[in-house]
Amino acid sequence: MKFLQTLSVARRTIFLSLGFMLVLSVVRLITNANDITSSGTISSTMRVATPILLAGLAGLWAERVGIVNIGIEGMMIIGTWFGGYGAWKWGSWAGIALAIIAGSLVGLLHALATVRFNVNHVVSGIAINILAAGATEYLSIIFFKGQKGGGESQSPTGKGGYGEFDMPFLTGGRVGSWRSPDILGWIERKHDLPLLPDLAGFARGLLSDVYVPTLLAIALVPLTGYILWRTRFGLRLRSSGESPQAGESLGVPINRLRYQAMAVSGGLAGFAGAYLSCVFTSTYRQGQTGGQGYIGLATTIFGNWNPFGVLRGAILFGFPTALKFRDEKNVPALLLVVAIVLVVVAIISFTRQKQILAMGLLFGSALSATTYLLVDEVPQEFVAATPYIVTILVLVGAQQQLRPPAHAGAAYRAGENH
Amino acid sequence: MSENSESHSGPSAVELHGISKSFPGVIANYSIELMVRPGTIHAIVGENGAGKSTLMKTLYGMHQPDEGTITVNGKQVQFKTPTEAIAAGIGMVHQHFMLADNLTIIENIILGAEPTDNRGRINFGAARERIEALMTSLGATFDPGTNVSELGVGQRQRVEILKVLYRGAKILILDEPTAVLVPQEVEELFETLQRLVLDGSTVIFISHKLDEVLTYCDEITVMRQGTTVAHTTPAQVDRRTLAQLMVGSDLPDPSGRETKVGEDIRLQVSGLNVASEIPGAKLALQDININVHSGEIVGIAGVEGNGQFELCEAILGLRPKLSGTISVGGSELSGSDTRTRREMGLSYIAFDRHREGLLLDSPLWENTFLGREENATLTVGPFMKNRSIEADSRVIIERFGVLTPSEQVPAFALSGGNQQKLVVGREMASNPKILLAAHPTRGVDVGAQSAIWDELRNARDRGLAVLLISADLEELIGLSDRILVMFDGHITAELDPVTATPEMLGTYMTGGEIVTSL
Repeated sequence: MKFLQTLSVARRTIFLSLGFMLVLSVVRLITNANDITSSGTISSTMRVATPILLAGLAGLWAERVGIVNIGIEGMMIIGTWFGGYGAWKWGSWAGIALAIIAGSLVGLLHALATVRFNVNHVVSGIAINILAAGATEYLSIIFFKGQKGGGESQSPTGKGGYGEFDMPFLTGGRVGSWRSPDILGWIERKHDLPLLPDLAGFARGLLSDVYVPTLLAIALVPLTGYILWRTRFGLRLRSSGESPQAGESLGVPINRLRYQAMAVSGGLAGFAGAYLSCVFTSTYRQGQTGGQGYIGLATTIFGNWNPFGVLRGAILFGFPTALKFRDEKNVPALLLVVAIVLVVVAIISFTRQKQILAMGLLFGSALSATTYLLVDEVPQEFVAATPYIVTILVLVGAQQQLRPPAHAGAAYRAGENH
Repeated sequence: MSENSESHSGPSAVELHGISKSFPGVIANYSIELMVRPGTIHAIVGENGAGKSTLMKTLYGMHQPDEGTITVNGKQVQFKTPTEAIAAGIGMVHQHFMLADNLTIIENIILGAEPTDNRGRINFGAARERIEALMTSLGATFDPGTNVSELGVGQRQRVEILKVLYRGAKILILDEPTAVLVPQEVEELFETLQRLVLDGSTVIFISHKLDEVLTYCDEITVMRQGTTVAHTTPAQVDRRTLAQLMVGSDLPDPSGRETKVGEDIRLQVSGLNVASEIPGAKLALQDININVHSGEIVGIAGVEGNGQFELCEAILGLRPKLSGTISVGGSELSGSDTRTRREMGLSYIAFDRHREGLLLDSPLWENTFLGREENATLTVGPFMKNRSIEADSRVIIERFGVLTPSEQVPAFALSGGNQQKLVVGREMASNPKILLAAHPTRGVDVGAQSAIWDELRNARDRGLAVLLISADLEELIGLSDRILVMFDGHITAELDPVTATPEMLGTYMTGGEIVTSL
């Protein structure tokens, strides 16, 4: 595993994705569950993963500046409401814009509490979650109740127009009125080959039938990396999360940075919410976020506070959900995937002399594999739980290497250096 | 103040007149007079709590003085923030390093003064070039692309100095820079500083170690109880006079014993192996054998990070061992937890009083109670007897001369030296049989040092077995009955303190060999 550690995170992401595709390819050939790597599944994964990715990036921006943002869920709820409102009044892009602004303001509120008044970060975050749930309900009563299609717990249907996108020549997108060939689709249907159709499916999934907001969200991954690691603003922001005293002693305006980063964090969470209420669906519904803000925060940790890691985590969470959406017959194949992944992690743990952990992982793997062999139909609930089980196991295996910002969540007052 | 510096022509690098600064309830500085000539290493000496750090923070713009004037290079100035001080060419190397571990050396250095293009993108190439040039002039060798977390103490300090130089500082303030260094590193530091002075910089050097001040500095200003009491040069004073100026009394001496080492072995460590925290790395401790008799002080010399910390943790049961035995008074400790071990008479003065020794945000009385929850005079069943604990705390505070308004103030409000006295007091209060003392007098002024040494000696004479880990080689040589040197997880030498010298220890500590055997 030394080799993996020498790679940059972006390259490691590509490397790990390829490895995972290989596992999926093997499972596909064994089980004939062709859909597990089809372009449909992949594009569906991306759709499901987008809000988690955005929430994860929101967590990353906050924690990198040193603030724990448990309030992402609340900021997302605010985002869903304002997204729904904007989409209903003016269209979905307006909804997204409005949600980003509203989310930023809530982010600034969290910053005000934690930076200015030194409120415990978790307490403030939880307050925001409760506040957001209550406030949106109240706003719905004022604005949506009595409107056509609207009510206390949902908005009237929004105007569509988020835009979908197909890449010409590779996935059959249109150039003017001419429909270009669908090269990746052709490869994807050669199901007897190993790996190649899977990769084609993967690429086609990313490039066909994509929501433009999803593309924006993915573009935010390298953009975040660029800003945080290549610019002055980013370096100062990270220093605030690592050692605000060091920054302060060099004249870095720590508090101002924290407000700025929290505005971005809130804006991203707002975007995530708006995605749910005006891209993924076209109505705001109460409880629409369903805890995805927390899952996003988990991907921040899982992704080791790195944007590419967050992307990885979001896809990991999105994949089983997408499979379930498409066809439940795929689910048993997932068991086999889990079994193989656990074996791989177990081998890695074993080489790190963590024998007990490795044994535990192998046991889990055996359990998963036996279930696959004995059971024809897997209960739905299992699918919903899979990403969390996998995450816990992977986090246990990976926790040695996780490196949170040293000062995230700690109380800080300018001028105190003890 | 002597007037001999008046003969110098041109403005002083720094002049402070009548500076006063008080905090709620405390007058930290009053009527300070300081004059630093350009191109010199100017030492400011004084005990902990004499107000040296407060004064330097005033000069560096971290807070504003209540009264008085600051003049830099002949111009009167008022710094509202460190940034303004930096702009005026003043740089500060803090006592506690201000470095972000998870950022690279380059990132730490350029932070706040990043070379960027007009879109805010950092020009890392230019930064590296500039830093490497400065490194050459300092004689530093490390890759500026590595994370600071991978650096040792001496190198971190070099990074702090680079940070200051990178900002074009011509006047450097170093706040007790040698507190964390071994002798060889101290020598290297002063070589670096002398190079800087030759290049035209001015160094203000805060210390309470008289030897290095007398050896390396050009001028000395002495502070006592919040004000400047004398200005002199190494040529005009000797160690004794300087000490008297500083504390009004003689310097303490760690050595001296009348009693004999006991016969019985209190602490026995044999064949101890402990794994490293990094998987796959070599062992943190390898085949360690130590016996400490009753009434004996066994010193452990070593550069920090060579296994001393792991040794203490293994003895305390905080870290699993791979093999070997640890016994206290003849009974093996395997399987017993830390609480049991403490009840058997183990006591521990921790390496880092901030991380392990104290609850910084808790009042002193809670801190002195820590680890003594089983003490029958301080508790009733599951309940704490707060009155008794507070009274007990006051006793410790008085006996160890902890300077504090009361036992109710939070621990972070004390100076480092007073915090240390409190920790030592707590550990001695439970009348231990064996004391693991890691750097018991680190960052402590001479008065407190003398008090702590007295306590250690008295306890030893009463039969206490002490494992003394220290970076202060004089302390090791003076207090110990035997000195073991740890290097790279091994015990590489056993020396007799009567014949050992700091230079010999330094050689062993850095992995060197001395041909003549003892």
